Amino acid sequence: MLVIQKTKIKEILDTLAKEYKVIVPAKDGDTSKFIPYGDNTEMLLEENVQLPPKDVFFPQTEKMYKFKSKKNTMEIENLPIEGGKQLIFGIRSCDMKSLDCLDQVFLTKGTDEFYKEKRDKTALIALSCTKPKETCFCTSMGLDPQKAVGADVQAYDLGDKIGFEAITEQGKKIIASIEGQLSEESVVVPKFGEFKINVDVEGVPEKLKGMFESPMWDDISRKCLNCGACTYVCPTCHCFDISQEVRGEDGVKYRCWDSCMFGEYTQMAGGHNPRPTKKERVRNRFMHKLNYFVERYNMLLCTGCGRCINVCPVNMDITAIIKQVKEAE
Amino acid sequence: MGNCNCGSEPDIVIPGSNNNVDTTLLVPVRGKIIKIVEETVDTKTFHISTMDDKKPFDPQPGQLGMLSLPGVGEGMFSVTNKGENHIEMSIKNVGELTDELHDAEEGQEVGIRGPYGNGFPLDYCKGKDILFIGGGIGLAPVRSLIMHCIRNRADFGKLTVIYGARSKGDLTFKEDLFKNWPQVPNMELNVTIDRAEEGWDGHVGFVPSYVEELKPKPQVTVLCGPPVMIKFTLPALQKMGFADKDIITTLEMRMKCGVGKCGRCNIGSKYICLDGPVFTLEQLGELPQEY
Repeated sequence: MLVIQKTKIKEILDTLAKEYKVIVPAKDGDTSKFIPYGDNTEMLLEENVQLPPKDVFFPQTEKMYKFKSKKNTMEIENLPIEGGKQLIFGIRSCDMKSLDCLDQVFLTKGTDEFYKEKRDKTALIALSCTKPKETCFCTSMGLDPQKAVGADVQAYDLGDKIGFEAITEQGKKIIASIEGQLSEESVVVPKFGEFKINVDVEGVPEKLKGMFESPMWDDISRKCLNCGACTYVCPTCHCFDISQEVRGEDGVKYRCWDSCMFGEYTQMAGGHNPRPTKKERVRNRFMHKLNYFVERYNMLLCTGCGRCINVCPVNMDITAIIKQVKEAE
Repeated sequence: MGNCNCGSEPDIVIPGSNNNVDTTLLVPVRGKIIKIVEETVDTKTFHISTMDDKKPFDPQPGQLGMLSLPGVGEGMFSVTNKGENHIEMSIKNVGELTDELHDAEEGQEVGIRGPYGNGFPLDYCKGKDILFIGGGIGLAPVRSLIMHCIRNRADFGKLTVIYGARSKGDLTFKEDLFKNWPQVPNMELNVTIDRAEEGWDGHVGFVPSYVEELKPKPQVTVLCGPPVMIKFTLPALQKMGFADKDIITTLEMRMKCGVGKCGRCNIGSKYICLDGPVFTLEQLGELPQEY
């Protein structure tokens, strides 16, 4: 396998940066997330970052088009597409799987050009995990923490070194561009450590179909604050609102992340709200993750990244809910 | 139900594939309000064309369109009819956007995108007698199918309309109800208002009881109206022997994108903007009661 010393990783990123805008997992103030790579970037390669990379493809706020309105006239102007090729280095299996989920939403049954443009121009170097965090459970969701789906290059954490394996044609080109800085060594990829959370999701989507009216949802939703933090840190949550900002004659239509935890999300102009209380909202969130999405796209809308468990102020735990469903009569 | 294409009509246009619509699904085309019809004190019908006097898109009966006023917002409305060069949306003043729309005048430019949703099952309806039941503004989506049947009169059997509103003044589409539709061959019109009032010599009473009184024979039925009307009409129809697969209704949910991506209009795993808004009672039985 082609490898490089971890201490020299910046050298290959510098090479890649000549061709791509390189995005890496890094510390950012009190949090950690994927940010553009620069000289002073504090990279975080020991564990996954706190925020997912979904904003690279689906920004928290995204301008869609401009409009100008005078009296009763209106002109619509498309916005120019920004930037060239980019590359994410160090994206984990869970977040790679989340792109597979987002692809179903944004690229099937009508292509979302805003998403597609970013997806198409982004190369992906996935990085294997060896030490699961306390809240990780990707293996329970059927993922391999050392083999990401859809990556151009799979990189392996080998302790003091990182190994590279090209997967796609684009991946081969990426490796070719840095090959001179890598050395060929025979290596053994270390086994990943033990997961603290293990849950059996087998049969849960099917069973949930008949559990819409279960009293379980009263119980589960009771402690939820509807704060929406889970949806914000979730790599697969993709709901958005569309709104506009207007200054005089000029306006910009934008979309921004929304959350099914908020009451206004389904509030209709006439006053009716089909999901009026937190019970319906919490139920919708978990049904969407574990049943509705499976029915629609034949995959779970959860990748086991554990971020929602980590961030929830009242310790809501999707794996506990899966167990509860499993055990329900 | 998903494929409601009819031989006499072009195939359903997949959102975004229409030449008039920008390839970025969410960007509207520029259009203008060419005519405004005052239906009631709080409902107006807007005729909308593109800037070059074309139909913004070619909707199937029952499909939806997203209408926007610059600087105010976007809203999803059923398309109640289409003409050679325009589409029509009947809009009740219930919120911020609709209030601004009601203040608009002919010539106002708007953004328009669509068509969205499945539409009514035209193939299934073809050759059959059809009962249309509407309450208040609920006649708007139902009217799109009525107008289709009238345009293609030979393709359908007897058309029966049962329509009610709170008062005479609240009856929408009066021009159709009292002038145009009475001239359509083999079409029966039954109009009612909730309470008696001066100058009204027609039927008085609520829609569900009027339906029971008229005792229509079981047939394909398309209904839309306020939840309370639906709630009492459905059991009445079932009691009279109407099959769940023949009872067709159209639902509404809050929508932002119209193309199954923004997430909010789901009922179970179905998106109203893609899989709906038209469902049979049989199909609704498969979905969670969350609408």
